[in-house]
Amino acid sequence: MEQTKYLVVGSSHAALEAVTAIRMHDATGSLTLLTRDPHLPYSPTVLPYVVSGRSAPEGIFLRDEKFFADNHVALKRGTALKALHADRNAAELADGSEIAYEKILLATGASPAIPPIPGIDTVSYHVLRTLDDATKLNAAIKQSKQAVVMGAGLVGMHAAENLVKAGAKVTIVEMAKQLTDGYFDAVAASLIEKAFTDNGATILTGSRVVKLAPSAVGATLTLENGTTLEADLLLVATGVKPNMEYLAGSPVEHDRGILVSDTMQTSVANVWSAGDCAQAKGFFTDGKVMNAILPDATEQGRIAGMAMAGDPGLKHYPGGVPLNAYHFFGRHAISVGSSKVPDGAEVVTRFDENSGRYLKAIFKDGCLLGIYGVNEFFDGGVMCQLILRRVDLSAVKDRFVANPLAVGRELMSKLWR
Amino acid sequence: MTTATLATPNQAKPAKQKVILCEGNEAAALGVALARPDMVAVYPITPQSSLVEHVAKLIADGRMDADIVDAEGEHSVLSVLQGAALAGARTYTATCGPGLAFMFEPYFRTSGMRLPIVMSIVTRDGITPQSVWGGHQDAMTVREVGWVQVYCETVQEVLDTTIMAFKIAEHHDVMLPVNVCLDGNYLSYGTSRVELPDQAEVDAFMGVKDVNWHVALDPLRPMAVDPLTGGSGGKGPSTFVRYRKGQCRGMQNSLRVIEEVHEEWAQRFGRRFAPLVEEYRMDGADYAIMTLGSMTGAAKDAIDEARDAGKRVGLIKIKTFSPFPVEALLKSLAKVQALGVVDRSVGFRWNCGPMYQETMGVLYRLGRHVPSMSFIGGLAGADITVGHFHRVIEATEKLPSSPAPSEPVWLNEKD
Amino acid sequence: MGRSYNTIAFDAAKCDGCGDCMTACATVKTGSTDKSRSRIQIVGDESDGFELALCRQCGDPKCVTVCPAAALTKNFDSGVIEWNASKCVDCLLCTVGCAYAGIALDEGVGHVAKCDMCYASPDGAPACVPACPHDALTYITTSRIYNEVGDWEDLFAPGLAGCQGCNTELLMRHTLRRVGPETVLATPPGCVPGMGSVGFNGTTGTKVPVFHPLLTNTAAMLAGIKRQYKRVGREVNALAIAGDGGASDVGFQSLSGAAERNEQILFMVVDNEGYMNTGMQRSSCTPYGAWTSTTPIGKGSGGMPSQGKTQDAKNLPLIMVNHRCEYVATASTAYMQDLYDKLDKAIQASKRGFAYLHVYSPCTTGWRFPTDQNMEVARKAVETNFVMLWEYNPKDGLEFTRPVDDPLPVTEYLKAMGRFRHLSPDQISHIQGKVVENLAFVKQMAHRQSA
Repeated sequence: MEQTKYLVVGSSHAALEAVTAIRMHDATGSLTLLTRDPHLPYSPTVLPYVVSGRSAPEGIFLRDEKFFADNHVALKRGTALKALHADRNAAELADGSEIAYEKILLATGASPAIPPIPGIDTVSYHVLRTLDDATKLNAAIKQSKQAVVMGAGLVGMHAAENLVKAGAKVTIVEMAKQLTDGYFDAVAASLIEKAFTDNGATILTGSRVVKLAPSAVGATLTLENGTTLEADLLLVATGVKPNMEYLAGSPVEHDRGILVSDTMQTSVANVWSAGDCAQAKGFFTDGKVMNAILPDATEQGRIAGMAMAGDPGLKHYPGGVPLNAYHFFGRHAISVGSSKVPDGAEVVTRFDENSGRYLKAIFKDGCLLGIYGVNEFFDGGVMCQLILRRVDLSAVKDRFVANPLAVGRELMSKLWR
Repeated sequence: MTTATLATPNQAKPAKQKVILCEGNEAAALGVALARPDMVAVYPITPQSSLVEHVAKLIADGRMDADIVDAEGEHSVLSVLQGAALAGARTYTATCGPGLAFMFEPYFRTSGMRLPIVMSIVTRDGITPQSVWGGHQDAMTVREVGWVQVYCETVQEVLDTTIMAFKIAEHHDVMLPVNVCLDGNYLSYGTSRVELPDQAEVDAFMGVKDVNWHVALDPLRPMAVDPLTGGSGGKGPSTFVRYRKGQCRGMQNSLRVIEEVHEEWAQRFGRRFAPLVEEYRMDGADYAIMTLGSMTGAAKDAIDEARDAGKRVGLIKIKTFSPFPVEALLKSLAKVQALGVVDRSVGFRWNCGPMYQETMGVLYRLGRHVPSMSFIGGLAGADITVGHFHRVIEATEKLPSSPAPSEPVWLNEKD
Repeated sequence: MGRSYNTIAFDAAKCDGCGDCMTACATVKTGSTDKSRSRIQIVGDESDGFELALCRQCGDPKCVTVCPAAALTKNFDSGVIEWNASKCVDCLLCTVGCAYAGIALDEGVGHVAKCDMCYASPDGAPACVPACPHDALTYITTSRIYNEVGDWEDLFAPGLAGCQGCNTELLMRHTLRRVGPETVLATPPGCVPGMGSVGFNGTTGTKVPVFHPLLTNTAAMLAGIKRQYKRVGREVNALAIAGDGGASDVGFQSLSGAAERNEQILFMVVDNEGYMNTGMQRSSCTPYGAWTSTTPIGKGSGGMPSQGKTQDAKNLPLIMVNHRCEYVATASTAYMQDLYDKLDKAIQASKRGFAYLHVYSPCTTGWRFPTDQNMEVARKAVETNFVMLWEYNPKDGLEFTRPVDDPLPVTEYLKAMGRFRHLSPDQISHIQGKVVENLAFVKQMAHRQSA
């Protein structure tokens, strides 16, 4: 049986950061990276840009073969993890082979969650999670005249924008009452919505698809209110679910995702998890949350790698802080921190209709909890530090809200010292 | 001057030897040139100055291929040579008197590092009283420092011995520095007929140069030279003792090597010099006088005259003073009933000449009492004439029958 | 692993917020003078002081790791984090990743922008630094030292027995690394061999040929070694690392002689201002007023208290200048870049003739200061002009390499050490006066020789 000291499953941000962290401390221990994807590592986040044609598929890879060779990493592509036999430290692969490991990292990410809508298995639809999905969608967009996007999260919105720009008539169907729910608040969402509708898209929020059936152009969608939509291109972007089917029968505890400690360790010794499949401590809550965003995946991956390698520099995970940046029709929206407004919190907003600049900040006890902006640029990384460090902003609050860019920089440049 | 060669028949002389007329300092310089050192360091001092001037001129004229360092003092002269020797150079210098005194710090160290440096001492009396004249006080003062010291009698012997000194110093059983002592004034400036050996013959005699095989400062074979030893713990004391014992062994080995080298010299060049101790007219001698250096010429004349007058007196000359040739001297002393020792310097501690003092140690080993007395002459350039030696012979002759004086006889006291 | 890079340093105390750096950056990078488009951002205000927001060119850059499009990469040659416009998808996630506001949206073009240290510019140096009228920005190029030194072998053995906090060991290791293995090293009696570089009883602390010269003959012995290797056509460096006592006192004749003969030697004096290895006795390099074990403090006799050394230090490097050596310089371990520049020049000069480097090296044991304060004391010496850093060669004359135009009062230096604790106000004013006098003297030489 093949043996390896470190087995990293997955090949996106969390997995790659873990590899780097392991190699920082252990330059020689055998390390295998296993991924079901046939390609070199890439980020799911870049895929909308592959769809739009902005990113060339061959230019998106985060590492090349040389990186793995230089770092003495055995890269096994196109092979999924089928079952984890934690009792005997073995990973069973889809091809039936097994790899014995000393330590394993489960950074298997997530897959599109397909809603159980009647008839969905009778129609042809797109999802967007892999490079192959993206190249297929890229080809389909060019042919599309009337497209429907189910789900108004960032993936769906990106794809919808691309379809609009490609000339299709686009309808976005979202169950929630607003676009980008969970990322941006209602005001920001309305600004985003306006950008889309100004460009010819149709937004149907608070709408649910109840039936799908094949049609002459492609598919017919029936909404809850009885309306029907014809789609020659249907994109299902209603969310993701962690990839953890391989845990069936294993003692690794999981809930909505794989439950991990502050050092990304699962309930089983020698098994770690990070990234979109992990359910870890939240910064704003006591419980464990899914925080499937890119910056958090890198942070978790690094912590997991350090823990696996026994790096004494290991620091505990501070808890996930939501961080999002979204670019749409030449505008941008940034969200950092909690979108919830707890008791006793103060919300400060400002909005300039002419410029479309919108800012919202949530404070509690003088500390920043969250900050949102549309067309208002500030340094998301600096804001995140102000939140994580619970910096008291009472004395500068007004200035801060007026100019979060300058005041944020001013504060951080002092905090470094 | 009487020739210093012994009665042994000469070998067939090599035809190529040139005959020239030169002073002792020039002879030394010519000998140095023939020995082909890599580096010469110089600092002038009377009566050595013309020696280093000759060396400088030989180099300037392209007759000698060596690097010359005009150092800022004798201390640096010897230090430069130590460095060069540690880098593999054959090295030479000359000094005397105050220069030797100034050089003392690296001088002591040269023998400890077993560096085969050759240095002429154009002997000069010690100051003060102020003097720039000849005398053995400088060389005698440093006789306990681990250098081999040989004294020449003639200008020819200066030339030949200077060459031989390199071979003795560099002999692997010796590896010690050598002083070739030539009397200031008398040999340094005394002009004499000299046979000049052929360079190729000298090259063949010298053989392959290999001076830093034992200790080197060379990046190709890095080593720490002279790390700290001694103290009272670990390997310290024994390391130091091994070094010192090795130096003493080298000194003793040099007695044999000096003889071998002189023998080879005689074979090659046809000139035979007594390597350690020379006996002159000792056959049937009841008593003897002992000499050192250039005074021996006049002494031999006096012996000849005394023999002609029927006195049973002979002469013992020391050539190798350090190491003191105890065994060779024992053989000569075994023949005599009384001994007069003429020194050209003083031994302050024993109130006698230094050579006399050393010889008394040998006399003790003879196992019988030999009456003896110390004569001190030729200080600060004074001449020891045939007349002075007749006084020496007369006083020595009387020794068996009269008590030896407790004071040395100061030969030039009333000159 | 372990490469070091050039960097832009910011001295907040010198910044008055004028923004010239931002204008320079914006001009070079965007063609406009709009400061908001500058990659370097000065933030803050007069009352609270100015600060800097600038890309750190992190070794473990978060912006790179969070970029989904592989548009940001760390260039391991230049150290710069490079932004690839053709790969960037304008997602702004990098700005969310960076805690230093080092990469931000340039609203003028709608893309992120960040400092690239102008490394692709003709001189490869940042435009902002020379634009600063107050020297608040410095372009630090010492990375060269770290990178090169990291590749050179440390030619001293580990575990030399220097005193805790001694920077002579640092100096020795740096120097020999730089000079290299084709070297014969002379370490006359003192701290350098005292810490075991030549060794004890059959062990050695050095990987190149090394020896104790006498305290008196270092330069002469090295001259002999160097000349012999030259004679046989071998390129071997002759290096001395000597103390100030041997060099300025008893070894001075040999030093002066070798300098006059222009022997091809690199002679480094580690000046700790006394015979520190043997118990802190006075040397001619000991400064006025300093306590040493042979200039102790006491009530004295005849009403004259004993208050430390009563004479000023001999200025050995200036004396060496008057030998017209190929190269003479003073240096300090608190200014390693300066020291390395000089070391390089000295090595080159030693191939032509005599090169002399005088390095001021505070002695924690003998000067009586805490072991963690060595660099601080060394720096204070320079900042007060007690020690001046300059270099000399016969062609260019004497030039200051780190002039201190606005020196601290000498008391800032004196109070850092126990050896000056007893000083009377008169003694302090004597020392301050000498600092001024020495500065004027060296300035005059600098003026005269380069004229």
